[in-house]
Amino acid sequence: MTDSPETPRPRAEDLPPESFGAALASGAELLRSLPRRRSGVAGARRAADAWAARHPDAHAQLVVDQRPGSPVVDYDLLLDHPDGGTIALSAPPEDGVPWLIDHSTHWAAGHLVSVDGVHVSVPQALTMLRSLSGRDASPYQEIVDQCLLAAAGDDGSPVGAADLQATADAFRRGRGLRDRASTLAWMAAAGMSGEQFEAYIEGIARRRRFRKEKEAELAPGHLAANPGDFARVRAVWVTGGEKVVVGDVAELFGALGSAGGPGAAGGLGSADVPGSVGGCGPVGDVVVTVGVRWESDLPEALRGAPPGQVIGPEKAPGGGFLTGAVLSRTPAVADAATLEAAGRAAFAAWLAERRAAATVEWHWS
Amino acid sequence: MIMSARGDGAAERVLAALRRRGAHLVGADEPAAGGTPVLWWDNGDYPGRSRVTATFAGGERRLVLDTGGRTVDLSRITAVWRSRPSGPRAAAAVTDPSHRAHARLQAEVMLDGVWSLLDARWLPGRRADELRAHNKVFHLARAVELGFTVPDTTYTNDPAALAEAYEAAHGRLVAKQIASDRFEVDGVQHRAYTTVVTRRHLTSRHRVRHEPVVLQPYVPKAVELRVIVVGERVLAAEIDASGSRAARDDWRHYDNDRVRYAPHALPADVARRCARLVADVGLTYAALDLIVTPGGEYVFLELNSNGAWGFVELWAGLPVSDAIADWLMDGEEQ
Repeated sequence: MTDSPETPRPRAEDLPPESFGAALASGAELLRSLPRRRSGVAGARRAADAWAARHPDAHAQLVVDQRPGSPVVDYDLLLDHPDGGTIALSAPPEDGVPWLIDHSTHWAAGHLVSVDGVHVSVPQALTMLRSLSGRDASPYQEIVDQCLLAAAGDDGSPVGAADLQATADAFRRGRGLRDRASTLAWMAAAGMSGEQFEAYIEGIARRRRFRKEKEAELAPGHLAANPGDFARVRAVWVTGGEKVVVGDVAELFGALGSAGGPGAAGGLGSADVPGSVGGCGPVGDVVVTVGVRWESDLPEALRGAPPGQVIGPEKAPGGGFLTGAVLSRTPAVADAATLEAAGRAAFAAWLAERRAAATVEWHWS
Repeated sequence: MIMSARGDGAAERVLAALRRRGAHLVGADEPAAGGTPVLWWDNGDYPGRSRVTATFAGGERRLVLDTGGRTVDLSRITAVWRSRPSGPRAAAAVTDPSHRAHARLQAEVMLDGVWSLLDARWLPGRRADELRAHNKVFHLARAVELGFTVPDTTYTNDPAALAEAYEAAHGRLVAKQIASDRFEVDGVQHRAYTTVVTRRHLTSRHRVRHEPVVLQPYVPKAVELRVIVVGERVLAAEIDASGSRAARDDWRHYDNDRVRYAPHALPADVARRCARLVADVGLTYAALDLIVTPGGEYVFLELNSNGAWGFVELWAGLPVSDAIADWLMDGEEQ
């Protein structure tokens, strides 16, 4: 349908008078027959190509106008006038659809997801992605979580200046924005005005405040119901690609010593297990952890293990094998650090419950 | 009486405000000495679960509501707030759609009759008052008569009027529905928000004949206002959607990260006119939509006779639930 310089263009007066009019009428009929849905566009283009081949002088082009937020499409047919110039032909048919309905949009147009009836626009979702926590959750889950938190924490009460400042400081620290210039540069890169940045920080501060208050509210009950999870446990464990087989804790430390680990005294035991580390040989690449953890934060294999008993080798969650032992265990007490940990755990459980109960609808189409 | 569907968040907020004023919810709270009893009932329970009986005998009338759990002498109701009633609904046992529709109509007419006999204050008004006041043709005419500035407005289903209005607006025309309603396109729910009319829209002018539309020139805005009138109290929130592509032309897209809500101090004469308009159309409550132009002019757009207010309380901090509770309790005291 491109113009060809070799082809002399016929002048209107040189053509039979009905030809041009007939082409226009035929073009209008073509437009009226085209499917007005996105799914029909490919067929519409084929029909238009065929029409153009039958009317080469018109140098026809079909323009497809896809409306945002609607399955409806519009068409124009661009034609050459015999005397030069372009004719744009539109011919929406009479299909009995009222005007405003024809030009309406999907109820969730511009929205990415609805969580419990609260709609999240695409720009809002993209803003949320800027503050992903980095925890072990998909962006989809984080967006849903942020919606739930925003809905739960949006009580209309103002956020205090100190909270706002603390949130802004933490936000900047997390992104290495140490001064005004770097913050302004970040805002410019993110396309945020000063007012939008303030609103964004206020949203984060609101969610932080809600989380803090909820954690404090839930902590005592959660600790009382799950005291075993918050025992302080001193433990040692080694994870690696090879099995470490030892008989007792001293032997384990001995093995670690030979591997350059913390208890570097003596060698490994003489376990004779295929694929395991035995004798006094090197243990290969291992990660050794000696420390104090909440019971619920220990590797699963060690939770509840009696002090002094070697556990493993067991399959480690991230691959490889784990061998370890609990060294000592102090029952939970309701001190500040324990309540803080119980609050975090309780909040995670509360959020998981809300997530499971929420009605989540993604609007991908 | 709060007449509303269960789970209505607005009703919950007002109920909390009423409790702060010593009222108690019938069937849920311990009655406080001298406190006002509040009945929360949804007309969606009628006739399916509730019974309403009106008797006229011996020169006396009795109006009784049996909610299924308790019996209420309706003549003791002093104030009614129609928040979000779900509308009469036949019992599940009535399955034939035409029978359900018949039962619904009978129930609606019965309730309208009973409500007309109550010596109670209504907010926003009885159903018929609400419907009449919500009509855009009606309330725009009243607004003009009261001296509001309004955009040049055409209500029409004449296809020829579309291009005329477009030209008169110098190509800056918006179209709106005359009444909001549910509809579908290809089996999916669609909405007709405020539509900025382009030349493309003109090419399908023939469709205009199928239903009336509202055509107005696009009014440039500094901010939009939602003005809540409760009795004589007027509370205004400004909505600045200029930073949102999605909500710029219609804030009902609720792009909240990019839309600013704040209280707005109305000029006294505008506030007075708002209260007067609401009273003039026969209501005690309404949510009015106005625009403040960059030149500072207040332009009236429309009146919503039971328009939403929860978001202005939540995001702009306007004490609407307190105002409604005060209004309902004032009725009790009189």
